Amino acid sequence: MTAFKKKGGCFKRLMAVAGATIGVIVLGGVAFIYSGLYPMGADDPHSDITTWALKTLRENSIASASKDIEVPSDLNSVERLLKGGADYNDMCAGCHLKPDQKESDFTLGLYPVPPNLADITLTAADEKAADQRNFWIIKHGIKASGMPAWGPGHDDVRIWNMVAFLKRLPELTAAQYQILTARGENDPGHH
Amino acid sequence: MKNKQLGVLIAVPALMLAFSVQAHSEKEHMEKAENPDCAAMNSMDHSKMDMNDPVVMAMMQQCMSSIHGSAEAESAPHGHGNSHGEPMTGADKAGEHMQAPAK
Repeated sequence: MTAFKKKGGCFKRLMAVAGATIGVIVLGGVAFIYSGLYPMGADDPHSDITTWALKTLRENSIASASKDIEVPSDLNSVERLLKGGADYNDMCAGCHLKPDQKESDFTLGLYPVPPNLADITLTAADEKAADQRNFWIIKHGIKASGMPAWGPGHDDVRIWNMVAFLKRLPELTAAQYQILTARGENDPGHH
Repeated sequence: MKNKQLGVLIAVPALMLAFSVQAHSEKEHMEKAENPDCAAMNSMDHSKMDMNDPVVMAMMQQCMSSIHGSAEAESAPHGHGNSHGEPMTGADKAGEHMQAPAK
């Protein structure tokens, strides 16, 4: 009986210490948030652990949210490529660049730096997941990253067109990119 | 009466703002639309092009008028060639119409 009481007292003390520790951490966190000490400048990168936490949070969240999206079977169509290319050039290239372009004012200034979609390696193994991911990101955007949600102003067809173009973008030369993304009609000169 | 005027004063700017944030159409981009640089296709190695590749087919579609124009000019004396509105077949794309547009 005495041993049981002793054990119970020990457990209570342990709980009290754990509760106090959690309380101090929470209060410390709140105090830190209000202190204004955290650097918010886009030119002052996060610490490695914050970067890891945010990246892990982002990737797992997007993978979970996009896993049931149905990918159209005609992403290789010429029409999608041309429409998606023109939209990419107008809406995305400023941040995500064109073939042979290494940087822009946006890539220099945004944090996190927008990925150079004209110079990434695509693996065939996760092609479906990549298409789902791209569609979800274009449609919904990413919080506090500079990536807007294009869904409110663009229907799904238009977003899939951009996904279709993204699949071929890394292999395009600058000349091919120009031809594919130009909205104007070619003027042969003698018509 | 005053409330009505106030309502109009609020409603008009609100409507203008609402219209300004409507989804933008592809036509809005046309104002600054640039033309495809089809002359650049001259420098591409046509022998390495896969005519069934959507990228190549898309380029051909973009530059169709230019390609047709040059093919027509070349073929006119020989009396053959496609009309302008006729869609290109795979053979057309892979064959003589793939030749560089006239400068």
